[in-house]
Amino acid sequence: MLQWREDLLRTPVLYQPSTLEEARKLKRELGAKAVYAAGGTLLRTLWENGTAALPEALIDLRGVAGFSGVRHEDGHLYIGALTELSACRSHGEIAMASPVLREAARGIAAPSVRNIATIGGNITCGYGDVLPALLVAEAELAVSGPDSSPWVPVAAWLADRWGSAYDPETIVAGVRLPSASACIELGGRRFEVYRKVGRREAFTPSLVTAALVGTIGEDGVLRGVRIAAGGGSSRPHRLEQAEALLEGRRFSAELMSSLCETVHEEYAPSGDAFATGAYKTKTAANLIAAELWRLLHPREHSPEQPVSPGEMASE
Amino acid sequence: MLDKIPDTMEAGRGFQVGFRVNGHPVTLEVPPSRRLLALIREDLGLTGTKRSCELGRCGSCMVLLNGRPVNACLTMAYQCEGADIVTIEGISAGGLHPVQQAFQEEGGFQCGYCTPGMVVSVVALLAANPQPAPEEIEEALSGNLCRCTGYASILRAVNRAIEQGGDIHEN
Repeated sequence: MLQWREDLLRTPVLYQPSTLEEARKLKRELGAKAVYAAGGTLLRTLWENGTAALPEALIDLRGVAGFSGVRHEDGHLYIGALTELSACRSHGEIAMASPVLREAARGIAAPSVRNIATIGGNITCGYGDVLPALLVAEAELAVSGPDSSPWVPVAAWLADRWGSAYDPETIVAGVRLPSASACIELGGRRFEVYRKVGRREAFTPSLVTAALVGTIGEDGVLRGVRIAAGGGSSRPHRLEQAEALLEGRRFSAELMSSLCETVHEEYAPSGDAFATGAYKTKTAANLIAAELWRLLHPREHSPEQPVSPGEMASE
Repeated sequence: MLDKIPDTMEAGRGFQVGFRVNGHPVTLEVPPSRRLLALIREDLGLTGTKRSCELGRCGSCMVLLNGRPVNACLTMAYQCEGADIVTIEGISAGGLHPVQQAFQEEGGFQCGYCTPGMVVSVVALLAANPQPAPEEIEEALSGNLCRCTGYASILRAVNRAIEQGGDIHEN
C-alpha cells in the first residue's frame, strides 16, 4: 500500500567535521536526528526502501583525519575505516594479510557500489559481509579513535553492537589484521575460504556467509581452525563448538557428518522475508562441510589449488 | 540549533557543489543529499544516464567518478565535490566510442535502456585492464542488469571491444 513519506521531502543538514571529537560532539548533540555517513550506499538503500527515514542531519565522516589509508603498523596491517570495499578487493597487502577478507569484498554488491562503500560502513551496520572474514582473521577494531582508544576484537565489538547498551556515538575508525608474516607457521597447508550464498549467483544480498581458516598438517590433522558464519541481517559469529570439534582431528568423512550436526546446533539465525532460519542453518552447515570436503579432495573440485600427494590428507 | 563547531562545515539548502562533467566545470546550488542522478538528468539535462531501480541494483545510471564506475542513484551531491564525472555523453563526445561500436556490431542490446550503463562499465574495465579474463568481465559487469538480451551478445560485444582495442579513448 502506498504510504505518504514526509521524510523524503526533507533536506538533511550536512555536517563535515574534520576530527573525530567534532563528529562525536555533533552526534551527542543531535542524537537520533543525525546519522554518520561515509559511502552512504547502505543508508541510501534503507531510505529508498523505507526501512529507515531520511534523517534530519548527516555527519559526513570522509573528512575526518586518520580514517584513511592502508599501512603496516606494529606488526599489523591497518585498514582505515574509509577504505573502499573495492580497495579491500584489489589491495595486494590486504590480499596477503587476509585472503578471506579479499574474497568477502569480492562478493559484496558490485564493483560500482564497492567504489563508494567503505569497510567501516560494512562493519558498523553490525551485519556486513566482511564481518565473518574479520572474525576468522582475528581482526581488531579501533573504536572511536585510531590512537586514543584500545583495540577491540571484532567478536567483542559485535557483542557490544548487538547489545542494548550500544553507544550511538561510537565510530569505528579502522581495522587491523595480523600481518601475513605474523601468521603462526604451523606447517602443512594453510587454507582460507570464504563463501557466500545469496538469492542468485552474483550482485545479491547474502543469505548465508561462511569463513574458514586453518591448517591441514602433513599428517592430515587440522590445526588453528577458525570458523564464522553470518549473512543477511543476522549477527555474524564464530562457531566455537565446530572449531573445537575439528581442532587436532584428522580429516574424515565421519568428521564431516559430526561437523554438520554441530553447525546445526550452533548456528541459529532468524528467518527473513526470503529464507527461513532453518534454511540458513542448513545452508551454513552444508557450506562449511562442503568447503572442508573440497579441501580434502582438491583434485576433484578445485584444480586451481593443486597440492602434492604428501599434502593430501588420508581418510 | 547547535553552537558552531570550528572546522566543521555545515550546509543545508543552498549548498553549492562544484565538479566537472565531461570536462566542463559545473557549480550547482542544490540540497547536499540530492542524488548525482538528479543533478545529471534534471539539473544538467544529460538524459543519457538512465533512471531505473534507484537503489544501486541495476546499473542503468552508471557514470565514471574520477575514472571509476559508480551508481549515480547512490551518490549524493556533496560526495561529488571536486570530482571529475564522465557520463555516456562524454564517452561518445567524439563520435561512437569503440565500445559502443562493438555493442552495435554484436547486437549487444535490445531495448537499449541498460546500454549506456553497460558501456560505462565496459569503458572503465578496459581502461583499467585492456585484456580482462572472462571472470573479470563478469565481475565488472555484475552490477549491470539487462532484462532483454540474456547477456551472450553483451559478452560478445565486450570481447569484440577487447579485440579491437576498446580501451583506447578517442576523445
